[in-house]
Amino acid sequence: MSRRTLIQLCVYGAVCLAILLVPTFVDNAFILNKYGRYLVFGILAIALSLSWGYTGILNLGQATCFGLGSYCMAMALKLRTVPVHTGSEGLPDFMVWNNVETLPWFWVPFHSLSFALIAGIAVPVLFAMLLGWFMFRGRITGVYVAIITLATMVVVNLLIIDQQRFTGGFNGITDLAQLEIMGFTFDAYGRSSYYLIAGTLTVCLFFALAVTKSKTGLIMQAIRDNEGRVRYFGYDVAFYKIFAFSVSAGIAGVAGMLYTIVMEFASPTFLGVSLSLSVVIWCAVGGRQSLLGAMLGAIFVTGMQGALSESEAFLDTWMLIMGFVFVLVVLLLPKGLAGAVEMLVDRLFKHEKPQSERTALSQAASQTGPAQ
Amino acid sequence: MDAVLPQLITGLSIASILLLVALGLAIIYGTTGVINLAHGEFVMLGAYSAWMLQTIIGLGLLQSLVVIFLMVALLGWLVERGVIRHLYKRPLDTILATWGIGVIAQQAIRLTVGGELRYVEMPSLLAGSVPVFGVQTSVFRIFILVLAAALFGLTWYLMYRTDIGMKLRAITQDREVASCFGINSRRIYSLTFAYGAGLAGLAGALVSPLKSVSPEMGATYVVDAFMVVVLGGVESLIGTIVSSAILGQLTGFLAFYSNDTMAKAVTLLSIVILIRFRPQGLFSKKVRA
Repeated sequence: MSRRTLIQLCVYGAVCLAILLVPTFVDNAFILNKYGRYLVFGILAIALSLSWGYTGILNLGQATCFGLGSYCMAMALKLRTVPVHTGSEGLPDFMVWNNVETLPWFWVPFHSLSFALIAGIAVPVLFAMLLGWFMFRGRITGVYVAIITLATMVVVNLLIIDQQRFTGGFNGITDLAQLEIMGFTFDAYGRSSYYLIAGTLTVCLFFALAVTKSKTGLIMQAIRDNEGRVRYFGYDVAFYKIFAFSVSAGIAGVAGMLYTIVMEFASPTFLGVSLSLSVVIWCAVGGRQSLLGAMLGAIFVTGMQGALSESEAFLDTWMLIMGFVFVLVVLLLPKGLAGAVEMLVDRLFKHEKPQSERTALSQAASQTGPAQ
Repeated sequence: MDAVLPQLITGLSIASILLLVALGLAIIYGTTGVINLAHGEFVMLGAYSAWMLQTIIGLGLLQSLVVIFLMVALLGWLVERGVIRHLYKRPLDTILATWGIGVIAQQAIRLTVGGELRYVEMPSLLAGSVPVFGVQTSVFRIFILVLAAALFGLTWYLMYRTDIGMKLRAITQDREVASCFGINSRRIYSLTFAYGAGLAGLAGALVSPLKSVSPEMGATYVVDAFMVVVLGGVESLIGTIVSSAILGQLTGFLAFYSNDTMAKAVTLLSIVILIRFRPQGLFSKKVRA
């Protein structure tokens, strides 16, 4: 392990530790819930960083997988609400209002919480595999990927709104039970949920880091830098892209599930265009080629937004400022703040050469032979 | 037959608005390769300019069209100079930057004019309706159709019969070689962007009496216009007009036979499939690298 990796691990670990320690200083349930929400967005940013920053797949529909995960969780929790709020035979209330007589077949397995937990990851992953297969086997790249992912997300969103009888339509799925695993209840406004989220965040961050440090991760970065050359080396580029796309989707699904837990509802806005584009902003500002940078970017930007959202006028001004910051970052700092920090560190300690974009490709070439 | 004709005319009306919005987008995309996500905001700014000229100066819509075109074109020119110009080598980043510009424009309007819906009065001259093949049709919609056709003609003339148009086509084919022949591609790019933005502004002004004006109105237009461009293919003016007609009729037809949401979903889905199998569009022979 190089010294650089060691330092990176220490920094990542320190940040996660700091996040886990927050509840010892904050005792306000409302604030903890709010921080929990920001952390969820941090996880979502990690997911996008993996596909956009490391593999060069600009997924403008990152919220699709987030929303799918969130709905899986919401369906399970809806079926567990106390009978007062539900219709006959445990039928969710919105179905009763829409004259649905029996529980639709795809709702039935969600009586089992373990099924829901698996589905919250599996559904987004399967969706991403399918979409990835559809796009990358056809060698669709660049802006077209962005457009297809965006359009697909809008389609899913419209379907959810349109199928009000089964999904709750515009209102989403509200009035949920609290998550209970093996007799332990996760209160949305308690420390338990915060720890759950912070713990998951740590796991996701290190999992994503492990992926990027692996041989596969190296090939992913090589694909980002020069897809054609990786293909000439004999690698199955589409396979690696689908892999990165699906892993990213899985992490987004996890984030979605957690978001339902802290928000206590699921809504079509969770797979909306504005959320999806916000994720892109967070990653761009924080630094898309750094998992930690993207995550902190998300936490910082949403945190600021949350702090200013008490006043409507402030929020509008904030969005205006964000627009300017975003354009400036795109223009001047393509690697975001993390890239700037890295550059600064490299300037201060010149022992190790910065890992430039080209080296990822040559490393991949020298470490491993052709795959086929 | 009774149901088909009004349907066709509605479709044609939708198509003419689509054409107006998409024409600017197609020119910008075809020439510079920039997917301008702020295009919808140019439409929105055009609509707001119409509203402002009407409420503040009391200028009618027809009289203010030229002013609006120039105003929004100037804005487009500034955006190209300030931001887009530095990103031609990074096409993915242009999506992000133009989206950021869109956000800025939306918020600026929301902060200065306010987020509530605004209404622009229809010119009294065009307020009535006349029978067309036995169907009562709004004169204003016919006016839009005629104007869209005229602007299309003007654009075609500019592209294929003027010096600047020839330079533009040369750059589209090969920027480096064109530059070697002494064509100032940066200047042409700025002008193209300004012209495209101006067209979008004009489109916004023209739809403002038909629909309410709001800061978010641009979003729907940019999606639809982008569909037209993708369907029609780059560098193909004919493609743009044909695909606006197809999409306009399709939207009208689908909205008539099923609900609006599903119509939109189906249109988007077909576009996704189209991009997958023919990213260069239906009417284009050459793909831009």
